[in-house]
Amino acid sequence: MLQARDIRKHYGGVHALKGANFDLRPGEVHALVGENGAGKSTLARILAGSTRADGGSILRDGREVRIASPLDAQRLGIGIIYQELDLFPNLTAGENIVAGNLRFREGAMVRFGEMERFCRPFLAQAGLSCPVDTPAGELSIGQQQMLAIARALSMDARILLMDEPTSSLFDDAAERLFELIAGLKMRGVSIVYVSHKMDEIFRIADRATVLRDGETVGTVEIAATSVESIIRTMVGRDVTIAQRAGRGPAGEVALEVDGLTTAKLRGVSFTVHRGEVLGIAGLVGSGRSELGAALAGLDRVVSGAIRARGGFGLVPEDRRVEGLMMRMSVLENGTIAVLPRVSRAGFVARTAERRMLDPVAAGLALNCPSMDAPVSQLSGGNQQKVLLARWLLVNPDILFLDDPTRGIDVGAKQDIYRMVEELARAGKAILLVSSELPELLRLSDRIVVLHEGRVAARYDAEEATQERIMAAATAASGTGARPQ
Amino acid sequence: MKLPAFAALPKNFLALAGIVLLAIAISPVAADGSRVFLEIGNLTDILRQISLIGIISLAMTFVILTGGIDLSVGSVLALSTSLTAMWLTRGYTHSVAVAILVAVAACALAGAVNGLVIAFTDIQPFIVTLASMIGVRGLAKWLSSNQNIDIGFGQDLAAHFAAVFRQKALVIGSYAAASAAFWTLLSRTVFGRHVRATGDNERAALHAGLPVRSTKVWVYTLTGLLSGFAGVLYAAENHQGNPNAGVAYELDAIAAVVIGGTRLSGGKGSISGTIVGTLIMGVLTNMLRLNNVDSNVEMMIKAVIIVLAVAVQRGKGGNGA
Ligand SMILES: Nc1ncnc2c1ncn2[C@@H]1O[C@H](COP(=O)(O)OP(=O)(O)OP(=O)(O)O)[C@@H](O)[C@H]1O
Ligand SMILES: [Mg+2]
Repeated sequence: MLQARDIRKHYGGVHALKGANFDLRPGEVHALVGENGAGKSTLARILAGSTRADGGSILRDGREVRIASPLDAQRLGIGIIYQELDLFPNLTAGENIVAGNLRFREGAMVRFGEMERFCRPFLAQAGLSCPVDTPAGELSIGQQQMLAIARALSMDARILLMDEPTSSLFDDAAERLFELIAGLKMRGVSIVYVSHKMDEIFRIADRATVLRDGETVGTVEIAATSVESIIRTMVGRDVTIAQRAGRGPAGEVALEVDGLTTAKLRGVSFTVHRGEVLGIAGLVGSGRSELGAALAGLDRVVSGAIRARGGFGLVPEDRRVEGLMMRMSVLENGTIAVLPRVSRAGFVARTAERRMLDPVAAGLALNCPSMDAPVSQLSGGNQQKVLLARWLLVNPDILFLDDPTRGIDVGAKQDIYRMVEELARAGKAILLVSSELPELLRLSDRIVVLHEGRVAARYDAEEATQERIMAAATAASGTGARPQ
Repeated sequence: MKLPAFAALPKNFLALAGIVLLAIAISPVAADGSRVFLEIGNLTDILRQISLIGIISLAMTFVILTGGIDLSVGSVLALSTSLTAMWLTRGYTHSVAVAILVAVAACALAGAVNGLVIAFTDIQPFIVTLASMIGVRGLAKWLSSNQNIDIGFGQDLAAHFAAVFRQKALVIGSYAAASAAFWTLLSRTVFGRHVRATGDNERAALHAGLPVRSTKVWVYTLTGLLSGFAGVLYAAENHQGNPNAGVAYELDAIAAVVIGGTRLSGGKGSISGTIVGTLIMGVLTNMLRLNNVDSNVEMMIKAVIIVLAVAVQRGKGGNGA
């Protein structure tokens, strides 16, 4: 169906791909896995025509083809859903679908009737039930992703590349995506699925190709392998998945939130102690990120009280929009919040600056071509690590981590879990938001579930289960909810 | 060339080198066979002529790096020329230093007001400084009763001031010193980092707890201050305070910054680029004037150069994922 042979690509001195091979069969879901920076996104971009390879060849149905632009890919029936969705937020769903679409003949005038007739079936196939004239920006992230899929389908894509599609979805939206993928597969669409989430891969994929340092190390049948074996191939060594560690008794209260009400929150109350990890569960839009913004003083508080003992730090959810300065270097991004510590009379001491960041970067296994490279050149997972490094340097007493392992590979995730546990042991109070329930269960001492801006349920670590949290988060009215 | 970030720089220098070579090639030849363009007097004239815009464009670089713009610099310069001349000629003070200080401080204050409004409201910098461009011009005209305030050539304080501050060496020296100071500020200090971070991603800067507001206030204050100082030099050079001075200076300053590779959207740019941009404009003007090109044609040629210079720098890059 689609074959990639010995694809090579370098950026300056960095070899992003140095011999990637890949073979996609009709109607299969083929996972593409590898550590952060292994070259997965680069390979996907090359197949989708948005990046040109330096060497190697691509075969479609056995014939060698040239994919020099996204239009070439479209003609070959290849569609891509980027991790950072590339929709036009101010255009309507319909306009997003027909823009640049070879299958839709656009005249000089926009013909709304025809656009509607054209888009309808594809929106239905993607499972999106919104009106054709809804602005894309008003859709939830999950819906936007469906729109992106509808767009790809309308271009008659027989091959869909998905780059970490679930990294910003909560479980229920992910569930809908899996159903959609199963449906597409039945209709003979082949799917290339890039993900760091092993449970997903074992659920939906037929085969997996492992990339390591820009090279294909092997392709395996999912049915004939195990999570451990895939991880070992990815990393080249054994990774121990540590279980939940017991923690000492929590210390004094570090943060007390009482009846907090903002534009998005309705009377949220809880306390966090030093040495404790408070998990915060909730769907996208439940107010979990707004909670961070309100605590950080970035959102207006309508009523309620926040009593914090110590400094507060927020690792934001969206690293591109709220986290990183994309044009500045890795070093500058890492140290930007603590420059006074390495400067004298306002002048930055650059060797000291570097010495300060180096150990933290090493602890996170940050993989970047150089500390002076702009962060925009790093792979997604490594960008996330830069953001974490920034806040590890700040080292506040209370740390709000909003989905800190988004896009981070299995091995590095373990490092981050260890880091969170160490911080808690050192007496920090941690608030942890995560879209991955296993991660929340693994790290939290207590869990607060938010639903539409309210606390829907609270659990201690022992009583929390994925099912109960899901039920409370989706408000299967009252189940497990315990009034405060 | 290891870092792509430097890629813009050599391109600037190449453009400058190209224009210098062209200027030499087409330069008129003096009676003794030497090329007029290369005469020391001419070269230092170029530097002197670009110094005022050059000084303003240093601060403008900072403003643009934060993602802002300052349209009021020409009006602020006019205010400074008027204040300087008034203080010196009307006996308000017997000290040149005080006169200069008054003018520069007033201009810094005007800049600070710009900065405060921009930092504490969400009115766009373009609109805020458009308003102060009009308002400050009005202030300058009102203070001087719409008159030029002449500075004589006699033995008085004002004449003494003009004689000192119109010297080529002092003007060029000021530009050089300001360049060094602003280069250091941008590339070596915490403030410079904050300026770039603010322009690169303001929301992220806020999340990181950076002093975004005070950074903005400072950046516009500095622009007011440097425009004010440029006004002092202008008053000395022209022997008058002129409330109509500096019209369209903002455009020349912005042009120099943009030719120098700084992005109008903020976050990326350099002082060295701006200096090169200023030199390109200066050499170009000089070349055209030496060859007696009509000043209207000069403007048309400059227009083409601005677009070309920016296009060449954008040619590569811009393919972020
Ligand atoms: N535009 C670019 N300029 C320079 N280097 C780049 C660029 N894009 C990617 N790279 C480098 O190429 C390598 C592979 O990056 P890629 O984004 O393909 O990784 P990935 O496997 O998708 O990782 P992740 O799981 O973190 O998303 C990385 O080392 C990265 O720094
Ligand atoms: Mg990636």
